[in-house]
Amino acid sequence: MFTLAFAIITLGLGLFAFKIHKLSEQKSTKLFGISFIFISLHYFIQSLLNFSIVSTLNQNICNIMKIDNINSLNTLGAYSHMLFFIMGLATLTYMTLKIENKTTYILLLILPIASIIFSQNKLYLFYAIASIFLIFIAIHYLKNYLKNRQFKTLLILIAFIFLLFGNLHFIFSVNHGVYYIIGHFLELVAYLLILLNFILVLKK
Amino acid sequence: MTKKRNRLQVIRDILSTINKKKGEIKPTHILYKSNLSHHMMDEYLKELISKKFIKENRKTRGKTYSITKKGKDYLDQYKLITNFTESFGLD
Repeated sequence: MFTLAFAIITLGLGLFAFKIHKLSEQKSTKLFGISFIFISLHYFIQSLLNFSIVSTLNQNICNIMKIDNINSLNTLGAYSHMLFFIMGLATLTYMTLKIENKTTYILLLILPIASIIFSQNKLYLFYAIASIFLIFIAIHYLKNYLKNRQFKTLLILIAFIFLLFGNLHFIFSVNHGVYYIIGHFLELVAYLLILLNFILVLKK
Repeated sequence: MTKKRNRLQVIRDILSTINKKKGEIKPTHILYKSNLSHHMMDEYLKELISKKFIKENRKTRGKTYSITKKGKDYLDQYKLITNFTESFGLD
């Protein structure tokens, strides 16, 4: 349920960023929109994977997609879920760097994805790379807050710090289930703050 | 000391200068009202034309600029745009 809520919040924010881009033609809003659509796809796939524990649904999807077995479907889902989250964070990091260089963007996308694909411990590396991206993003929002000390900029800074700590907890959750719950709780707080910020923008 | 204007504010100032003149406006008038250097104004005008916020009209007596519907939409939604970009650190 949590992941589905995250998917809806991030989708809404991504689509709204595209609307703002259409009005302002500002490149950063387009990149922000793309990154949140990727993150939204990540959460949609994650919630699908969670639901797919119900094997009948899983079997039906396998039949529709003509995939040999449930394991293949789950592996495909797990890969695309990691891929979209990394793509979302890489796009957001690229936006914070404020540079216009497509090669740098492609490099930011390819390097982490290739590393995860060829890694022995894919899940560990996925969470570690996501955490590194989140550190850069949190630093950007810290600078943004110091430059523009307002409640709304503080909210988004805290939200990304929570996302970072949530993600760090997921690294430990590979062996300890309790960290998975803490990680999700931190993620929930982060997305509630992002949602609150979004509502404040719409209300003004 | 007044705070330095950001890009969105400069664009708003140029567009509202053109909009106030209803029809068409000469570049010298934009330069005077927008408080920019000649070079910076040229850069902004090129950008605004490429984004289809304004259009350039070439006449025998020189160039004039007029605002498009997209430019007017920008002015109407300026507050929403700045609220969003400021809130999510996009400026």
